[in-house]
Amino acid sequence: MLDSDNAAFIQTGVSISLASCAPDGLPSMNLGLGCKLVDAGRQVGVFLRRSQSLALLDNIRSSGRIANVFSLPSSNHTLQLKGSDARIVPFSPEDLPIIERHIADFVLEVIPLGMPEAVVRAILAYSPDDLVTVTYSPCAAFSQTPGPKAGEPLATR
Amino acid sequence: MTVRLDTIRECLEGVIPGHIATGDAEGMPNLAYLSQVQFIDNEHVALSYQFFNRTRQNVLAGSPVRLLLTSHLSGAQYRLNLKYLRTETAGPLFEQMKAKLAGIASHEGMSEVFRLRGSDVYRLLDIEQVPGLTLALPPPAVNYLTALRRATGRLTACGSLARLLETALDCLGSEFAIGHVMLLMHDEGRGRLYTLASRGYPESGIGSEIPVGAGIIGICARERIPIRIGFMTSEYAYGRSIRRSVEADGQGDSLETAIPLPGLPEAGSQMAIPITAFERLLGVLYVENVADLHFGYDDEDALVAFAAQLGLAMHHHQQTEELAEDVPPAEAAAAPLTGPPLLVRHFAANDSVFLDDDYLIKGVAGAILWTLLSDFVERRRTSFTNKGLRVDPRIRLPGVSDNLEARLVLLQRRLEERAAGIHLAKTGRGRFSLAVDRPLQLISS
Repeated sequence: MLDSDNAAFIQTGVSISLASCAPDGLPSMNLGLGCKLVDAGRQVGVFLRRSQSLALLDNIRSSGRIANVFSLPSSNHTLQLKGSDARIVPFSPEDLPIIERHIADFVLEVIPLGMPEAVVRAILAYSPDDLVTVTYSPCAAFSQTPGPKAGEPLATR
Repeated sequence: MTVRLDTIRECLEGVIPGHIATGDAEGMPNLAYLSQVQFIDNEHVALSYQFFNRTRQNVLAGSPVRLLLTSHLSGAQYRLNLKYLRTETAGPLFEQMKAKLAGIASHEGMSEVFRLRGSDVYRLLDIEQVPGLTLALPPPAVNYLTALRRATGRLTACGSLARLLETALDCLGSEFAIGHVMLLMHDEGRGRLYTLASRGYPESGIGSEIPVGAGIIGICARERIPIRIGFMTSEYAYGRSIRRSVEADGQGDSLETAIPLPGLPEAGSQMAIPITAFERLLGVLYVENVADLHFGYDDEDALVAFAAQLGLAMHHHQQTEELAEDVPPAEAAAAPLTGPPLLVRHFAANDSVFLDDDYLIKGVAGAILWTLLSDFVERRRTSFTNKGLRVDPRIRLPGVSDNLEARLVLLQRRLEERAAGIHLAKTGRGRFSLAVDRPLQLISS
């Protein structure tokens, strides 16, 4: 589903967010702390803080449907992936360096835009025992970079 | 609801872009970034509708709506639960959001892309703070309640309109720490705003004009609503481009263009606040700053409250000057004048007045000056009343609603700035006197 450009893009200093709907339709969302490719790139794994994502995780458990947005603040380049087979798996401590690198990349990305580093680090603060991983197979991808082509499906590989 | 929206409005400014989540009928979520969230009151917000995208389709199909907003000051995050009510495509809310979006679009390099199609109004059902680390908020630059208390206190002590306007602008500097300010009066009859006082510019610009409806100041006047823009945008410039458009409309002749408007060449932040009293627009307060996002919701609230006090005080002083009239002092005989005569030329077509071939003013203020000087030359008259001017057929005031006192202040200021040797001074309620330093030679064309 993901071409190599998009696969590389989602693993740079992008802002990552995830949403899922409750059975009554009410969505919930939260920020992700980095992501990785699983199963030879067929799946994406996103790291979430459990304490901040209780409703979101409930929704994922009940529906498996998620929307996952990646956006690079300096360029507004934005990609949305959808999945309908999302599941929650325990966080593997081996992935901690991915999170650390993601936060470092994101800080480098937004500080030139005027964001105070302390605020950015507070927004992304986590404790390792609070982390979970959500994995899913992207079934649709959309460009959401603002402009006339925003919302158009990306050609699949 | 545990969090009041008016206590977290910094999250709405979009410094950290917010997210909007919706879902379709099958329960597939959609997540998108927000350009802006407009505070209406603690139960209502408006979101900008720019594109007919998946979010919009879901909203119109009845999806519940969730926002994720983040404070750029503390890092605190909030989830808001919203219900869509309606879309507005014109009017004050729409114009407020359109102006703000123009600034955002320009900042993002999206001026050709972002266009406000509508303001989607939502009811706010719930705000939930996301648990997590937050930083202590930095102390605000100004305590607005203290500033308001002191500033309104100073307004109540003013005994004349001229004093009131000076004090108001001084207060914006000393109490509110705002360095660049203009106060424009509404010329109802001509659909214009004219600058009566300013602070923080090399040239005062007193007498310069803006048409109602043009630029940030003109739109503020037309809609009678505060307009606040956080990033530099040419779309809401109020300078030369406005004049070009007015000239193209064929109205250039009636617009005061000889006096340049003051203003920062590259303002990052702009805010225009209407001054009203009893449902009438009296004028506009305009403030600006070179920095982006300098003015927030709290600045806007503080200046709206200040402008409300100012409007009532302006109304009071205008009424006082019109209705009351102090007993005239004995008219002192004007001292004989010596020196080279000052050539005063009047063009009746637009009531423009030139002093020694230098342009001074036109319109109603020009007609007033010409009348005063004519009476002085013909009858050595130096004492005048507002009531007398109001009924004088030579002046043709637009109507009773016109703020004659403000026009006298304008004329007085222009004369002072030019140091032309013609002086107007108040001598009591509804009265003023004329003094000239040199003999006058009047020429009417």
